[in-house]
Amino acid sequence: MRKIARAALAAAVVLGASQLAGLSPAAAQQNIKFGALYPFSGGLALLGDESFRGLEIAVEERNAAGGINGKPITLVKGDAVDPNQAVGEARRLTSVDNVSAIFGTYSSSLSLAATQVAELAGVPYFELGAVSDPITERGFKYVFRTNATAKDFSVRMVDSVAEAIAPAQGKQPGELKIGIIYEDSLYGQTMSGYQKARAQEKKLNVVETLPYSAKSVDLTPVILRLKSANVDVVLQTSYQNDTVLFFRQMKDQGFKPKAVIGAGGGYSLRDTMQAVGPENMEGALDVDFTQYRTNPKAAPGIEQFVTKYKAKYGTDPRSGHSLANYMGAKVFFDAIAAAKTLSADAIRAEVMKVDLPVGSTATGWGAKFSEQGQNTRALPFLMQWQNGDLVTVFPAEAAVAKMKVGVGTN
Amino acid sequence: MDIFIQLVINGILLGSMYAIISVGLTLIFGIVRVVNFAHGEFLMVGMYGAYLLAAKFGLHPYVSAIPIVLLLFALGAIVQRFIIQPLLSADEHIQIFATVGLSTALMNLALMVFGADLYSVPPSAVQHSIALGGFTLVIGQVVMFFCALALVAGLHLFMQATPLGRAIRATAQNRNAALLMGVRVDRIYVIAFGLGAACVGLASALVMPLYPVSPTIGTYFVLTAFVVVVLGGMRSMYGAFFGALIIGVVDSLSGYYIAPDLKEVVYFALFILILIFKPTGLFGLGRGTE
Repeated sequence: MRKIARAALAAAVVLGASQLAGLSPAAAQQNIKFGALYPFSGGLALLGDESFRGLEIAVEERNAAGGINGKPITLVKGDAVDPNQAVGEARRLTSVDNVSAIFGTYSSSLSLAATQVAELAGVPYFELGAVSDPITERGFKYVFRTNATAKDFSVRMVDSVAEAIAPAQGKQPGELKIGIIYEDSLYGQTMSGYQKARAQEKKLNVVETLPYSAKSVDLTPVILRLKSANVDVVLQTSYQNDTVLFFRQMKDQGFKPKAVIGAGGGYSLRDTMQAVGPENMEGALDVDFTQYRTNPKAAPGIEQFVTKYKAKYGTDPRSGHSLANYMGAKVFFDAIAAAKTLSADAIRAEVMKVDLPVGSTATGWGAKFSEQGQNTRALPFLMQWQNGDLVTVFPAEAAVAKMKVGVGTN
Repeated sequence: MDIFIQLVINGILLGSMYAIISVGLTLIFGIVRVVNFAHGEFLMVGMYGAYLLAAKFGLHPYVSAIPIVLLLFALGAIVQRFIIQPLLSADEHIQIFATVGLSTALMNLALMVFGADLYSVPPSAVQHSIALGGFTLVIGQVVMFFCALALVAGLHLFMQATPLGRAIRATAQNRNAALLMGVRVDRIYVIAFGLGAACVGLASALVMPLYPVSPTIGTYFVLTAFVVVVLGGMRSMYGAFFGALIIGVVDSLSGYYIAPDLKEVVYFALFILILIFKPTGLFGLGRGTE
């Protein structure tokens, strides 16, 4: 046993020495290691894995074109099932695997936990999918985010009422009665808070604000409240079950608003549409990450991404998460390549220099980072369910279809 | 006023759904004296069963109610025979832990087999609503209301008029005395647990057209069912039935007149008040009176 240990030690010393000398040809070819921190198992695994696929495609594409300054990228996976494990895996990636940067994370609670570890270790953390605003509001130096935040979502939802729905109805924005309903956990509360603030700013008429439990099996009280207040436009922040229930019971109770706008989540999923029925979901509006039925002129590269995705995984993308991760990874790979070294400060300096106009990436977003590391040019689009498909309808340059008026079979 | 009546109608119809689930829970609690925390997961299993029968054989959930009820009866009987029975003489806490464990196991099993996605059966006529004098009633919920009535009436007849029903009542009243009278108590327990689970089977077939199924669907219903059971006096089937209707109406009215997110506060406050002032429940007549 001792002999083996000695031999191993000797081998390690020799190997270490050759690496220090930096003379061996292998050293020049050394890979760049990045961590990929996502929930790969547990309840969040489906969309966690979908997010990872976007990063994986971006890496393959980059490696095929010569990697970063001639060095190929390898990804080291970290499985973050819950915030505790996110911390543990971030520690492992930064201290044992010595990755040069971490990409992640899909879920906000996981990102909030893991970014703290990376920041302390001085390792850049590139967030490509989590939406909670505080991730880039804590004054961290090495945390950067390409995707839109909860506030961006809420702003787009409220602004859509004034900019898209009111004109389509031939009304002044102030004439429309708005009802804000949301599931009462942190997610819904945060979103509705931004929505209320934005509506006040825009002088819109919010007549009802109703929280409910996402586990509720009966939303008829909510619907009857909206109905008796004659609400024209409903803004809903919800998960999947409550979205399905809301649409089914809205129909049962004969509530016919002029428009319903959802915030991603349950609204974007095909399962939701199928559970509600295409004819009842018809016309439902949705603000979310860029989906695939978007005008390629406003999102150059979106079609190529779908082609690559299909070739690699043999199915259509399951949601827009992979696209958002792909876009973000590409932006950051370019910044890292421009930095020449892998030092966190050099990378930060290059990220701050990134200046891509809106409509120049595969998601249609631009990229320009604030001091806090937040991309200020990531605006989510307004989409609508039409004939069982989720199509982008606003703004005009990204739209592939005209917005329809009304919801369901009204 | 119109809104008020509509809310009461919605509440009663919602309550009838809770009634079917709660009657099953009451049977298990009242006879076997086990608090079944896996009750919601039985509902989930039944709903996946109804989904599979609809997806593979195109059966309407109302048709698959028969196989689902039998399946759930068997599941309940198996759980009683192989999980609860060995623990019957153990501490009550141990039995509770066993059912909590079963609940978690079933939920994760469903997550493994079906994933976290929602599944629903193809749309059918029972999802539609009918207008009755200016009020709307969802057909599926009306069916549930009459099924709940029929279930309670049927169980009443079964308990009063058959030898097996008498044996079950005897066991519920006094286990040892029943044993001395020659009742095979362990078999009665297996049957009672099966019956309780079969009620949930009926509920799951009736609920399936109205709600999509997911691994955690049971938790949406079961907490309310526990409130109903306590409200109804723990061991009284009729209490569970009326308790469910009351909770349904309270749920509906408080959601509208107070706030949708505070309706749980209202009925849990009611729950605590009942425990303080009438610990035997609204319809409870004390131990062993069913």
